[in-house]
Amino acid sequence: MASRGAFDGVKIVEYATMVSGPYCGKLFADMGADVVKMEEPPSGDPARQRGPFPGDKPHPERSGLFAYLNTSKRGVALDLDQPHGLEAFRRLVAWADVLIDNHPPARLESLGLGWDQLRQQNPGLIFASLTPYGRTGPRAQAKGGELTSFHAGGLGNLLPTRSEDISRPPIKAGGYPTGYSTGLTAAVAIAGALYGRRASGDGGRLIDVSEQEAVLALVRTNIASTIYHRTVWSRVPERPPALGRLECSDGYVVALLIEDRHWHGFVELMGNPDWAAGPEWGTLYYRAGHLMEIADRIAEWATQQKKEDVHHRGAAKGFAIGSVYNAEEVMNYRQYHARDYFVDVDHPEVGNARYAGWPYKMPASPPAVQRPAPLLGQHSREVLQDVLGFSPDEFADLRREKAVWEAREQ
Amino acid sequence: MTGRPDGGGPLRGVRVLDFTWVWAGPYATMLLAMLGAEVIKIESRGRMDIMRRVIVWPLFAPIPQEIPPDQGASFGAINMNKLGVTLNLDRPEGVELVKRLVGVSDVVFENMRPGTMGHMGLGYEDLCRTNPRLIMLSSSARGATGPESHYAGYATVHHAVGGASQITGYPDGPPSTTFGDVDLVNATASAFAVIAALHHRDATGEGQLIDFSQCEGVSSLIGEVLLDYEMNGRSQGRQGNADELMAPHNVYPAWGVDRWVAIAVETDEEFAALACVIGRPELAADPRFVDAASRKRNEAELDEIVSAWTRVRDRDFIANMLTREGIAAAPSRDADDLVHDPHLHARGAFVEVDHPEVGARRFAGAPWIMSDPGVETRRAPLLGEHNDYVFRRLLGLSEEEIAGLQRDSVIQ
Repeated sequence: MASRGAFDGVKIVEYATMVSGPYCGKLFADMGADVVKMEEPPSGDPARQRGPFPGDKPHPERSGLFAYLNTSKRGVALDLDQPHGLEAFRRLVAWADVLIDNHPPARLESLGLGWDQLRQQNPGLIFASLTPYGRTGPRAQAKGGELTSFHAGGLGNLLPTRSEDISRPPIKAGGYPTGYSTGLTAAVAIAGALYGRRASGDGGRLIDVSEQEAVLALVRTNIASTIYHRTVWSRVPERPPALGRLECSDGYVVALLIEDRHWHGFVELMGNPDWAAGPEWGTLYYRAGHLMEIADRIAEWATQQKKEDVHHRGAAKGFAIGSVYNAEEVMNYRQYHARDYFVDVDHPEVGNARYAGWPYKMPASPPAVQRPAPLLGQHSREVLQDVLGFSPDEFADLRREKAVWEAREQ
Repeated sequence: MTGRPDGGGPLRGVRVLDFTWVWAGPYATMLLAMLGAEVIKIESRGRMDIMRRVIVWPLFAPIPQEIPPDQGASFGAINMNKLGVTLNLDRPEGVELVKRLVGVSDVVFENMRPGTMGHMGLGYEDLCRTNPRLIMLSSSARGATGPESHYAGYATVHHAVGGASQITGYPDGPPSTTFGDVDLVNATASAFAVIAALHHRDATGEGQLIDFSQCEGVSSLIGEVLLDYEMNGRSQGRQGNADELMAPHNVYPAWGVDRWVAIAVETDEEFAALACVIGRPELAADPRFVDAASRKRNEAELDEIVSAWTRVRDRDFIANMLTREGIAAAPSRDADDLVHDPHLHARGAFVEVDHPEVGARRFAGAPWIMSDPGVETRRAPLLGEHNDYVFRRLLGLSEEEIAGLQRDSVIQ
């Protein structure tokens, strides 16, 4: 039984590489949008060069990064430096409701597809342009990427938390946090603009998303505190009585004790030691000033505990606590399995694997992986002929000119 | 659609009842409001959003309860463009009024512990009786089902459980959580789900209850890390600032105290340009650094060379020099740097709103620039500021009825 996706019928062209634009496209594709990913031959999206790879053997059709970020899409490969390749791309963009692009604006402009031309050809087009620093302002042309945008946006400067040695540099969070956050941010704006078109008859829109600002948006409360109170946050100080990270015998837990009852629950968990039993500990203000005095004793208690034991017994006492899980533990996490969080995807080159699913359960329009990530040019023929109306002969000509590429037949 | 037709923005006409508090919910509904939805935040004097009375976060504020309810800084940052009402949900009359509001709304958004809304008689099924097309999003720590649905949580705990802390930190150091950013990312994802559900409702007439898990929200953003386990049985560790392919790719010391600059070199051309800028053009032909794989292999040596140059130079000078050569480089900025960043100002990344108690304040604005936005930024609502609009004009209660409800502490 085919269920209906929330974005069924929405046509999206994704001219985007790496994480931000592709994740944005995936969000729509997994909800039923017809997302055509346009890659440039011969190598396509550089994410294909990035791991993980099965057996750690790099192969452009076996990148786990690419496989995850490009589920549910169809893939075409067009050489935009060939006139007929560019013409096919132009027709693709004219077909689309949404164009997701994360190249420097000069790229599309040089192809005669700047925003002015795009909206002339397709007045309803929603054009999302994802760039390191946005399309305007003094740094509009500056090169940027995952690392530099994360630090330019103000989140890197806060990490790692509780850093004891400021001669060591601030860091980026692991993985691709900039790319994912930028993709999510753009998705909200695109989904909104599409809704305006559908419900209120709005026209097309240009959506300008800066990676720096997508990161900055996430530290907006810290920024508010800086503007109000001139406090500047950093990775350095300890911040009792947040408690934060505790090292157990077999790993770490993170706990947050905010209300007094949380503190009492934690003291119970520790077995009510004398040094934490006094009534003075029952107020936030006292703890804020004195927690460091017993921090060593708490740490010593923690080293004698197992993290999962502390995690679940602590949670039962009603305060916020959780284990630091590694990938294996996440993949085996009972809560995720009970909620069917993972999704099995069979990819012709990657093989069968369980992928992370979606954090939203939407019973009336459940997200689903419609198809595995495309091989480079896998759907070139299908899209050009069925969607854009190229005849088989025309398509053959384009193939001969290498204006369009197809996945190698297996 | 039920919201005010005279508003602007692509979500104009959509009305959202906002029962959220702290960070993960309020930022989501603010995003909806910034797209033009009419968001009505429901609080009471007895149960107000705790962010109203703290600077950023209760643990770090020295004397949190002494901040008047309309002056909390982070409240102002993530509740702009909303309307505010005060309604006592411990009273049956308050619950009745909510149900009447649901009848003229499209979306209910809440982030209490699973089951709390139901206990108040405001579960999805209760509310559907007044509005069968209702969209409701419930955002919780670990989702509304499963053995851990009742677990409490905050952003840092979600980061840990979701698998992201494990991969954040120095290679030789402990795992690191991040901050409230996790809440704001989850807010963004949940705003997306709500707009998707609006699309579905308009196509089919069908509403739905969206169950959002904030831990899952973290895991969905490390999909490739989880696939590494699936493919290779590997649980990745911490990499600091390192990249799997690029070098130099790090944050380097600059002149001054705790001043840093991030540099990422992708291509051989960029590396040759970097080598020239740092006065070591011969490095481009050095067999240790001649291509990306060699540079990655000799990354520690390369970092020493780059650091020796950056250490005695100003970070903005470094970033500007390298940017001009087409290399990705940026200072590691703190909040004060951001507030004074001319590029961000040129783009209007900060908005100024006037507040009757604290005066004009700037906040980070919408995280996008949209043509034909149709929405102007308004400050966060004072407690109960829009009671009159909502209860008299929207629900059509008379002045006498409202006065009675106020007397009975239903409208507080």
